[in-house]
Amino acid sequence: MPTAVGRYLGNVSALHARGVIKSVGRGRASRRVLDGVDLEIEQGELVAVLGRSGSGKSTLLHLLGGLDRPDAGSIVVAGDSLVECSERALTRVRLRRIGFVFQSFQLVEELTGEENVLLPTRLAGAPSGGTERARALIDELGVSPVADHLPHELSGGEQQRFAIARALVNEPTVVLADEPTGNLDSTAAADLLGLLRGLTGLGRAVVMVTHEHDVAAAADRVLEMADGRLG
Amino acid sequence: MKVIWREAIGGLRRRRGRVALSAAGIALGAAMLATATVVGFGLQTGFQRSAHAADLPDVIARFDAEPLSKVLGRITALPDLAAYSFRLELTNVHLRGGGHSSSQGVVEVLDSGRRGYGLLEGREPSTHNVEAVVEQGVARSWGLHVGSSVDVNGLEGLRVSGISVSPDDVAYPLAVPRVYLTRAALEARFGPFGDPRVNAVELWLRNPGQLNTVLVQARASSYGIEGLRFVTREGVRVLIDQAAGIVIALLVALSVIALITATVMLAASARAEVQRRLAGIGVRRAIGASRAHIALAQAAEAAIVALPAGALGVGAGVLIAAGPSERLLETINELPPGGALAGPLLACWALTAGIPVLASAWPALRASRRPPIALMRGAELRARGGRSSARRAAARRAAARVAGGRGLLPSLSLLGARLVGARRVRLAATLAVLGVSVAFILLMLALASELSALESDPSTLGKRYQLTASLPAAAAAGVRRLPGVAAAAPRYEAQAIDSFSLGETIDVVAYRGDHTVFEAPPLVSGSRLRGARQAEVGNGLAQVLGLSVGSPLAIELPSGREARFQVAGIVNSLQHDGRIVYVSAAALLAAEPTAGEQIAVRLQPGASESAVSAGLKALGASATPASGAVGQGRGLIEALTAILRAVAIVDGLVCFYALVQALVLTARERRATIAVLRACGAGVRGVCLLLAGAAAAVVVPAAVLGALLERFVLGPAMARLAIGYASLELAAGPAEVTVVIAGLALLACAAVLWVARRATREPIVEALGG
Repeated sequence: MPTAVGRYLGNVSALHARGVIKSVGRGRASRRVLDGVDLEIEQGELVAVLGRSGSGKSTLLHLLGGLDRPDAGSIVVAGDSLVECSERALTRVRLRRIGFVFQSFQLVEELTGEENVLLPTRLAGAPSGGTERARALIDELGVSPVADHLPHELSGGEQQRFAIARALVNEPTVVLADEPTGNLDSTAAADLLGLLRGLTGLGRAVVMVTHEHDVAAAADRVLEMADGRLG
Repeated sequence: MKVIWREAIGGLRRRRGRVALSAAGIALGAAMLATATVVGFGLQTGFQRSAHAADLPDVIARFDAEPLSKVLGRITALPDLAAYSFRLELTNVHLRGGGHSSSQGVVEVLDSGRRGYGLLEGREPSTHNVEAVVEQGVARSWGLHVGSSVDVNGLEGLRVSGISVSPDDVAYPLAVPRVYLTRAALEARFGPFGDPRVNAVELWLRNPGQLNTVLVQARASSYGIEGLRFVTREGVRVLIDQAAGIVIALLVALSVIALITATVMLAASARAEVQRRLAGIGVRRAIGASRAHIALAQAAEAAIVALPAGALGVGAGVLIAAGPSERLLETINELPPGGALAGPLLACWALTAGIPVLASAWPALRASRRPPIALMRGAELRARGGRSSARRAAARRAAARVAGGRGLLPSLSLLGARLVGARRVRLAATLAVLGVSVAFILLMLALASELSALESDPSTLGKRYQLTASLPAAAAAGVRRLPGVAAAAPRYEAQAIDSFSLGETIDVVAYRGDHTVFEAPPLVSGSRLRGARQAEVGNGLAQVLGLSVGSPLAIELPSGREARFQVAGIVNSLQHDGRIVYVSAAALLAAEPTAGEQIAVRLQPGASESAVSAGLKALGASATPASGAVGQGRGLIEALTAILRAVAIVDGLVCFYALVQALVLTARERRATIAVLRACGAGVRGVCLLLAGAAAAVVVPAAVLGALLERFVLGPAMARLAIGYASLELAAGPAEVTVVIAGLALLACAAVLWVARRATREPIVEALGG
């Protein structure tokens, strides 16, 4: 169901996927992981994709984030098609429309927390004002006291907050989170879910994949992945 | 064992690109090593090999010509004598053949007995018909071969019966042309000589260790024999080794660079590969594979790549170096090593194949020591964090506070630099390799420009005048008045011979007034000449005659008059191999009134040479540019230049390989970081920027290090080695430094683009998982 913010924003579809098919492997070893997935997510909506390991939920997230291309079907993010576009256009969509939060945080170990957040703002084509936004996000997420720490000096929760700040710093339309609580204890996980919920209040669509029912329960909508299809 | 080989082949098939890069590195290292070995071994062993092949005597004694009967008894009385052979050495003989001629030829009239030279082609000259054996340098330069004919001072159409090599002197054109005739054939044609005159004898000893005793005895029994001087086999070897030592020192340094490069790069590559495979190693350990199995599998993979790549590299090195090396050996009358080179080349191959095998097996062995579960989690070979990491973090925070912000804002290129800097040992090793390579390339360029200057720039020979005009001395004042002329003075030149012992000519040069205004070769010892009784002598002449400051020098001029001087100073000069004497004009003209006369003209800075030449023409003279050509040494210089070029090319390839390897390793180890960047929206350009930063972190300090190393260490060291031959300014100039920096920048750009293309071709998802 669309959220109140989504309704307020005019039920604009943030992400739209139709008949997405993806196979992995070649020849006899080929296996269809996604078998005609349809999905529509509106702005301000938090959607959880639930499924067992190997069910294809991470593959779906990668396709929605433009990290990989489907074999068939269409994916549109904020009006931009991710299927019929050049590699350069796809890169631009990733830069301006999509924010990715990885399970293992994927912070660059040579950079401090703040520098990690600033990294996407240094890419060609990034929206201006990145430094101010980064500082505001770090303040907002409560990690300013440890902003100049290197990743290995931070707790898992702190690392994940920096990872979220990095995903948000270029003001994406869609935030995609892959098992965002996978490496966190229960308290940190609860905090993180609160954060993701807060993002929807800012009008962003959030898609998270998880295999934990408790985590999925925090979402506006839960879609279950089974046999390559969303139920 | 079969399982290990099968695993190894499977592993190689899965990563063809990386295998190709490793193979290229091994081949390059092997090529450098082989290049150095071919030239170094050839030079190091050349004299002994040639001396053995030529049956070079232990001593050559030269003296003023005497009847054979007067000398024979004294020679046969010498102790420990195995054999001896007399000859008559005739100098300044007119030789002609193959359309070439020389009036400075040497004819060796051989007696019976051992020859003291080796035959490369043909046979010994007949004892019935007058035939000639020609030294190989003459044969090569004049296009002579067995069956050709030569003219020897009126003896026309002598058949060339053989081509010889004799390492007691360098080859023509570095030395004067030399031919051998037999006394028996001359007697057969002109009738018996009676008691023939001889002026040289070659001695072979039973025990060369007794050489000093024999020399002492020979000197003691030399009463009545004038102009006696000895050349020993060991003395010739030392002289040639001194000259070859410069090239060998360069090549040894090059080999060390090749080995360090190969070891560092291949070890780093192997370590990164093992790091990438930790999980796989963990699984194998978990299912019972022994540590030896893991290490052997890794070693087998490396061996499959290294053995053929090493062989290819050694082959390429031989192809690159064999030609120039052979030419160099020919110019110093030495034989190429031939089959004797097989052993050292096999050692090169074994070394270049062995290093990668060890470099691959060792990190695998080390990694497999860790618990399988830690390996499966992909633990680093070395634990991260720790004190040094904490120190770095504290330093970063301090820097951020100083910057006044809450963190240093990273640009992609700065991040690239940090990624490279994170592997400090490897960064240091790469910097060392690149820095030393840059220094060597600069040295090669400086040497090459010095060598070409020797041929074309008169100032390297100490000449400060630019033109000579064929005018009488009285015209000097008129020449001085020409626009653009800074100084002009009469210059006199004559050819003389040493009154006592030297059979070769000496250039005698004189000026009215201070000669250093026009010619000032660097002074090695003593002082400039003052007065008519003093002379400055070239280092070549000083070496040959054993002159030092204060020694007397007596020269015989073409007029037959003798002039005596005292050596005031010794100068470094390459002109006529340093066989040159500067004296005052008054002294020269007193002994040789018909000495050649010209006006030497020194131009004002920036003055047009052609304008001054036109002015001289108007005075009725033809102007000739001062030459810097070391005419006789042109062959040697060309051979050396070819070797320098080959070395510089291989060195440049090493730079490129080191850069590519550093970037590839960084990209491979940080594939997850690059994938995150791409996931955040970085395209090929972003990855290029990141890698450009990484390349700059290596290239910029390496260029600075290389320039400093060349200017303050290698250049002066090489100049010191060459001091006996020439005063060389081996500091690379701005043009050379600019060329090297531009070349490095170009190589870095090529490396960045290539590695960036590779890195962005990998699917992001796969890289994130890796």
